[in-house]
Amino acid sequence: MEAYKAFTQEWMDAWKEKIAGSKEYREIAKDWEGSVSITVNADPSKNIPQTVYMFTDYWHGDVNEFVICDAAKAQSAKFIMTGDYARWKQVAKKELDATKALMQGKLKLKGDLTYVVRNIKTVNKVIDLLTEVDTIFPDDV
Amino acid sequence: MKNGYAGKFLQIDLTEAACSTFTIEEARLKKFIGGSSLAASLYIERFDINADPLSPSNPLMVINGPMVGSGFPGSSRFAVASKSPQTGIWGEAACGGTFGPELKRAGCDGIIITGRSPHPVTLSITDSGVEILSAESLWGRDTYETTDLLKSPDKNIKVLAIGPAGENIVKFSAIANDKGHFVGRTGLGAVMGSKNLKAITARGSRAPEKDDEGKYREVFKRAIAEIKDSAFAESLHLMGSDAAMDLGMMTGDIPIKNWSIGEDFELSASLGGPALREAYLTKAHACSNCPVACKRVVAVKDGPYRTEEGPGPEYETCCSFGTMIMNGDLAAVIKANELCNRYGMDTISAGAAIAVSMELYEKGIISPEAADNLDLSWGNMETVIVLLGRIARREGFGDILARGSLAAAIHFGAAAADCVAHVKGLDLPMHDPRGFHGMGLAYMMSNRGGCHLQHAAMAMEQGMVSWPQLFDMKEDYDGTTSEGKARLVFDSENYGILANSLSMCHYLIYCLKPETVLDSFNAVTGYNFNFNDLLLCGARDWMLKRGINNLLGITVKDDILPKKVLTALHDGAAAGSVPDVKLLRDEYYAIRGLTPQGRVSDEKLLELGLTELKDKLYK
Repeated sequence: MEAYKAFTQEWMDAWKEKIAGSKEYREIAKDWEGSVSITVNADPSKNIPQTVYMFTDYWHGDVNEFVICDAAKAQSAKFIMTGDYARWKQVAKKELDATKALMQGKLKLKGDLTYVVRNIKTVNKVIDLLTEVDTIFPDDV
Repeated sequence: MKNGYAGKFLQIDLTEAACSTFTIEEARLKKFIGGSSLAASLYIERFDINADPLSPSNPLMVINGPMVGSGFPGSSRFAVASKSPQTGIWGEAACGGTFGPELKRAGCDGIIITGRSPHPVTLSITDSGVEILSAESLWGRDTYETTDLLKSPDKNIKVLAIGPAGENIVKFSAIANDKGHFVGRTGLGAVMGSKNLKAITARGSRAPEKDDEGKYREVFKRAIAEIKDSAFAESLHLMGSDAAMDLGMMTGDIPIKNWSIGEDFELSASLGGPALREAYLTKAHACSNCPVACKRVVAVKDGPYRTEEGPGPEYETCCSFGTMIMNGDLAAVIKANELCNRYGMDTISAGAAIAVSMELYEKGIISPEAADNLDLSWGNMETVIVLLGRIARREGFGDILARGSLAAAIHFGAAAADCVAHVKGLDLPMHDPRGFHGMGLAYMMSNRGGCHLQHAAMAMEQGMVSWPQLFDMKEDYDGTTSEGKARLVFDSENYGILANSLSMCHYLIYCLKPETVLDSFNAVTGYNFNFNDLLLCGARDWMLKRGINNLLGITVKDDILPKKVLTALHDGAAAGSVPDVKLLRDEYYAIRGLTPQGRVSDEKLLELGLTELKDKLYK
C-alpha cells in the first residue's frame, strides 16, 4: 500500500477516496450537510514550518471538495477545527479520540456543537477512515 | 470568620422542639473540609450508627463546604447525609441550586436534625435564628406547591422540601430545592419524612468572608476564562447533561432495556441533548453563580404528556425513563420527570424499579394481577405515569416498587433479584460498566453504593478531562479493559470526592484546571493547601466512610457488580466485554490499603489521622 505524507493534497485525496468508497459512511452521513476545515498549527520543531489549512466538504453522504487551502477559505467552513500538530498526529494515529481531544481542550471547534453531537457517528466515521490512510508524518521522516 | 465558613452549626431535636448551636475547631475543618466528609466525621463521633435509618435518633445532616456562597463558579452545592433507608449503609447526596448559599448567608454552615416531631413541621432559618413552624397545611402537597407556598411571603426564601413520596417513606425519596434541584440518591427524603419534617427554608443577608479577596478575584477571572474556553462547558450549556446520550451510544455507555441491549441509535437520537434542545427547551437555567447554566427548562405544549414550563430531565432521567424502559418519546420522559420532581422521588431509582418490573412482567414472574392489571409492557408510558403516582402514595403494586427495585424483585422471588442492577442496594446510575470497566470498579467501591458522583472516574476514563498535574494518567483510556483501572479509580476518588467536601459541582471541576480549583480554595479559606493536602483529604474521606460502612457490616462480599452487568452484551461498542471484578478489586484493595476482607487497616487509619474511627473499629 502506498504511504502518503500527512497534510498534503495527495494525503487528502487518499482520505477522500476512503470516505467516498465507504458504503457505511454513505449510510451514516445521509443527514450531514456542510464543510469542515482543519487547521494544523505550525510547529517547526516537528517539520511543520507553517500552519496548514485543509478544507473538506460533505453533503448527504457525498464527499465534495477536499483541498489544502488558505486561511480565508478555512475560515469559511461551517465547522472549523484547530489544534497543534502533535494532537492531530495522535488523532490520525488513533492514539487520541477526537471527541476526547475536543473535551480536553486539545482541539478546538468553532461551529454548532449541537449539530456535531447529533451527528457524532458521522464525525467518528470520517476520522476512523482517516486512520486507515497509510500516513508518513513529517517528524517521522 | 474570614475563611469561607459561617462559623456556626445548628443542632435541632424535633422531638423536643429544641435548637442549639455548636462550632467546629479549625483543625477538624482542615481534615474534613465540609460537605459529606464533615458530616461523616460528625456522624461517627456523635451518633449511634446502628440506629434504624427511619428512627428518631438517626440524624439528617445538611452541610455546606467552605466554597459555598463564595460566588465562585460551581460553588452552590451542599450535601445531605444520613444512614440510608434505601441501602442501610452510609447515605449521602449533593445538590446544586440555591439552598446552600442561602443557608451560609443566614450564618449557618450546617444543620443536624434528630428526633421526630409529633406533627408536620418546617424549619425556618434566618439571620435571627431558627423557628419550628407547623406544616399541617403543607403535608400531602407536592414539592412544587410546597415551594410556591413557602416562597409566597418572599421569593428570595430558598426551600428544601419533600413531596408525598418522602412523607410516605418511599425508599428512594428525594428532597427538592426550589423545584429544579434535587438531593436525589439514597432515599434521604424518607429520613426527612420520618421526622415529620416537610421543609427547611433559609433566608439570610450576610455574605461569608474570604481570606484573601484580592487573590480570589484574580482566580475568579481565571476560572471564567477557562469555562469560556471549555468545549465541555459549551456542551453542557447547549445540551445539558443529556449531551452524554448521543456520545454515550457510540461508546457503549448507555443502559438499554434494563441493561440487556448494547446499542440503539434511534433511541439516542430521539432522547439525546440535541433532541431535547430542538423540541422542548425553553431556556437554560443556572445554579447560583454558575456561568455554565446546564439545567434545562422545558415545556411540552400539547399531546398526552403536556407539561407546563418547568425543570427538565437530566441525562440520567432520559435513560431511566427512556432507554431503560424502551421509550423513545421524550415528551413522556419530561412528564415522568415532572411527576418524580413533584412527588419527590429519585428518577434513577424510580426508573430502575419500573424497568425491573417490566422485565419481570415480560418473563411472567410478575403476573397482570400482581401488577394491579397494569400493562407493564416495555415502553408503555401510560402505565409509567399511573404507576409513579401509586409508588408515591404506596398503593397496591406501587407500594411494592416503593420499597426499591431490589426489595421489590426479592418480593417476587429470589431469582428475580438477578434482574436488578445495583451495588450495595443502590441502583446503578445510567453508565454501563461493560463499556467502562473503571466505572464498574468505581461503582463497586463507592461508599454510598453504585454511584457515578463519588469520584471522577467517568470524566477521566471517558476522556472529558486530563489532569497530568495531579497524577499520572492517560489522555485516552480504552474503556473495555480492566488492567490499570484500579489506579485510575483510586486517583479519581481522591480528587472527585473533594467536590462533595468543598461543595463544588463536578461539572465545573471538570471544566477548570486543578490549580484553579486549588487556588480558589486557598483564597477562600487561607489554608494554603497544596495538591497533596487536598488529595489526602479525599483519601481520608473515602476511608472514613468505608470504616463507617465496615461497622455497618460491609466487607469484600459487598464489593461486587451485579449479574446484569457481568453478562456480556451481543451488540454495541461494549459487545463481549465484562469487567474483571477480581482483578479490579485486588488491585484496588492493594492501592487503597484494605485488608483482603475489605476492612480498613489499623495502619491506614493512623496514617490518615482517623484515630476516632480506629477506636470504634478495633475496640
